[in-house]
Amino acid sequence: MSRGQALRDRLVVAVVALAAWQLAALVFGAHWVSPPLATARRFLQLVADGELVRHAGFTLAAAAGGFLVGGLPGAVIPFALRRMPRLAAVLDPYLVAGYGVPKLALTPLFILWFGIGLASKVALVASVVFFLVLFSAAAGVRAADVRLVGMARVVGASEQAVARHVVWPGAVPFIFAGFKISLSYAIGAAVVGELISSNRGLGYLIQAASQDFDTTTVFAGLIAVTLLVIVINEAVEAAERRVLKWRPADAQPQRRLVTAA
Amino acid sequence: MILAGRVVLGIACLVVWHAAHLALGAEWISSPADIVTRTVEIAIDGELWRHTLATLTEATFGFLLGGGAGILVPFALRLSPRLTAALDPFFAAAMGVPKLALAPLLILWFGIGITSKVMFVAAVVFFFLFFNTLAGVRSVDPRLASAVRVLGAREWTVTWEIAWHTALPYVFAGLKVALPRAISAAVVGEFIAADRGLGHYINNARAMADTVGLFTGVAVVTLLVLGIDTLLERLQARSLAWQPLTRDAGV
Amino acid sequence: MSDTAAPLLEVRGLGKRFEPRGARAEGLWAIRELSFAVGEREFVTIVGPSGSGKSTLLNLIAQIDAPSEGEIRFGGRSIASPTSGALRPGWERQFGYVTQDDTLLPWRTLADNVLFPLRVQGRLDAETRERARRLMQAVGLQGFEQHYPHELSGGMRKRAALIRTLVYDPPVILMDEPFGALDAQTRAQLQADLLKLWNGGRKTIVFVTHDIAEAIALGDRTLVFTRAPARVQSEHRIAIPRPRDVRNVYGLDGFPELYERIRKELA
Repeated sequence: MSRGQALRDRLVVAVVALAAWQLAALVFGAHWVSPPLATARRFLQLVADGELVRHAGFTLAAAAGGFLVGGLPGAVIPFALRRMPRLAAVLDPYLVAGYGVPKLALTPLFILWFGIGLASKVALVASVVFFLVLFSAAAGVRAADVRLVGMARVVGASEQAVARHVVWPGAVPFIFAGFKISLSYAIGAAVVGELISSNRGLGYLIQAASQDFDTTTVFAGLIAVTLLVIVINEAVEAAERRVLKWRPADAQPQRRLVTAA
Repeated sequence: MILAGRVVLGIACLVVWHAAHLALGAEWISSPADIVTRTVEIAIDGELWRHTLATLTEATFGFLLGGGAGILVPFALRLSPRLTAALDPFFAAAMGVPKLALAPLLILWFGIGITSKVMFVAAVVFFFLFFNTLAGVRSVDPRLASAVRVLGAREWTVTWEIAWHTALPYVFAGLKVALPRAISAAVVGEFIAADRGLGHYINNARAMADTVGLFTGVAVVTLLVLGIDTLLERLQARSLAWQPLTRDAGV
Repeated sequence: MSDTAAPLLEVRGLGKRFEPRGARAEGLWAIRELSFAVGEREFVTIVGPSGSGKSTLLNLIAQIDAPSEGEIRFGGRSIASPTSGALRPGWERQFGYVTQDDTLLPWRTLADNVLFPLRVQGRLDAETRERARRLMQAVGLQGFEQHYPHELSGGMRKRAALIRTLVYDPPVILMDEPFGALDAQTRAQLQADLLKLWNGGRKTIVFVTHDIAEAIALGDRTLVFTRAPARVQSEHRIAIPRPRDVRNVYGLDGFPELYERIRKELA
């Protein structure tokens, strides 16, 4: 299939999707499905009067704060536990259970403890990010241990040298992978916190609009959240490509379609 | 030794919990004992079962709806590589949508009853299953598919024999991730607007400053999810016995 | 044989070009102007340098891939050409194909793998089951029927792949370096097994290898291919009488001379 055709096909899909959206708006009425044009207009209007930026800023702050509060310990703890296998074994079932706990269902607890402001969202996001990063980093530490540590010890490296030159570099890609996965979860968690109880943020914007039956703003808000996630993901990928330029193209995960036979 | 450490740690956690309850006050942290008492109470008066049943109903129907579609669509897409290629960038974008943000819209559309939560759970589950199954279907070894065709298999057999089996570990990985999330999605949906369900119970308790109720609800949800997690783990180990080593494929 | 009777399988002016990918602007011809014929019940081996399009040729014959030029004829009929439309892998079970890497289904037991073609062809009955059982016994797989492929050694998987093709009795069997990845011992054993089975009920075999000794030890005739784009560089009739002792090929009559000749051609 030629590249031009693929591009044309995609354009067709986009046009069909827009047409279906418009049609749905006509069939169900603008009260239920906000038409594309009205949504776009509302989106621009919200951008112009600064509302969207304000709410997005709050959501981002909640996500970023929780990301730091949860992500850093999540990345460091597996290294500490590497030297304490017994403690690690004791903690293991608790950490696994903690990973399984539905953090979003804890939101009312966080709101009880930290109020409806930023702090409760940061706590929620942190609880989500912590376990994601923790298990990625732990996988990295394990991977490094299995392959290389034995070899390094054989050639006489000290424990510290092993940690610095073998385990750490080996685990870094895993930690980054954990961070990357956590990004969209962080935003999702922040939005959920805002949906449930808040006075600012994109989640609040959507929830408040839905209670006013303002479908157009709900749609615009959803688009804003989606764009936020996509932009952040793209930025991270661009950064990753730059940082990991030395890696052969093959080693990078394929994002393009590989048609199955 | 390790087991003893685990037990000690568990007891220590309970002690710290209780100490926090005493230090900070019952309005902030409920004691484990109060939670147990409340659980027994609402179990006896039937409230626990009513809410749990509502949440599980939403989760189950949403899971079947979203999961079924999420598994079937990637197989259907096998029929048209061209359409799949055209849709590819849209899939990537859809992956970015925080599905949980859809809850207010779905409540707007389907009301505060059970339907909106079913749809919400379905939306959340669909994406998990869809992307995992798609990855599975795409990882079909073309050599295996060719070999089976040479042996005289029809396209239907190729789909069933190769694509399905190849995708199965991915489907399981997706189910495993999605099933607990189905329950938490139902609960989150109930937080936002509902007249029934564990999320409703929790939210209601919070509104009435009933800390014990809030803790009890959260504890029930947590145990429910962890229980289902464990169950799934067992099930998967059984049906993928043919796999050599790693059991966790997929995203 | 090819020069006396009408050939069973004929390749005429065959060419396969792979589309350019990425930086390489030119497409790549793996095969070009390739012609040869194979007679019924003939065991033809093909040797050539690695990357000389031998696997591509078998993929074209098995109809896993379509030719860019020329045609393939089977029993006097044209079955594949650039214009012949949709591929029909295996050409209605006329071609069995044993590939380089084993393509056993990892989620099926050994017995299920061997019976698989019979099952999908709707020919699974007491008689074919018995045939499968006998074949498995002949290559020493009895007792492993309920094992999954990952629980078997490389040599056992190869045997299973071979049996899986023999069990449904296709008139032509294509083999692409089937014993390539095995140790010398296992390899010799499998070669012996193959010859034994072939002597039992002679099939037409096209056997690709890069091992000259293997090509001579097994074949009635061997074709030497050029580098890509592959053509037939030379052809040698192998007059060594059968049955042959593949464990001692170097001692076979006429082997060293032929080996030397082919080695020089490939150098």
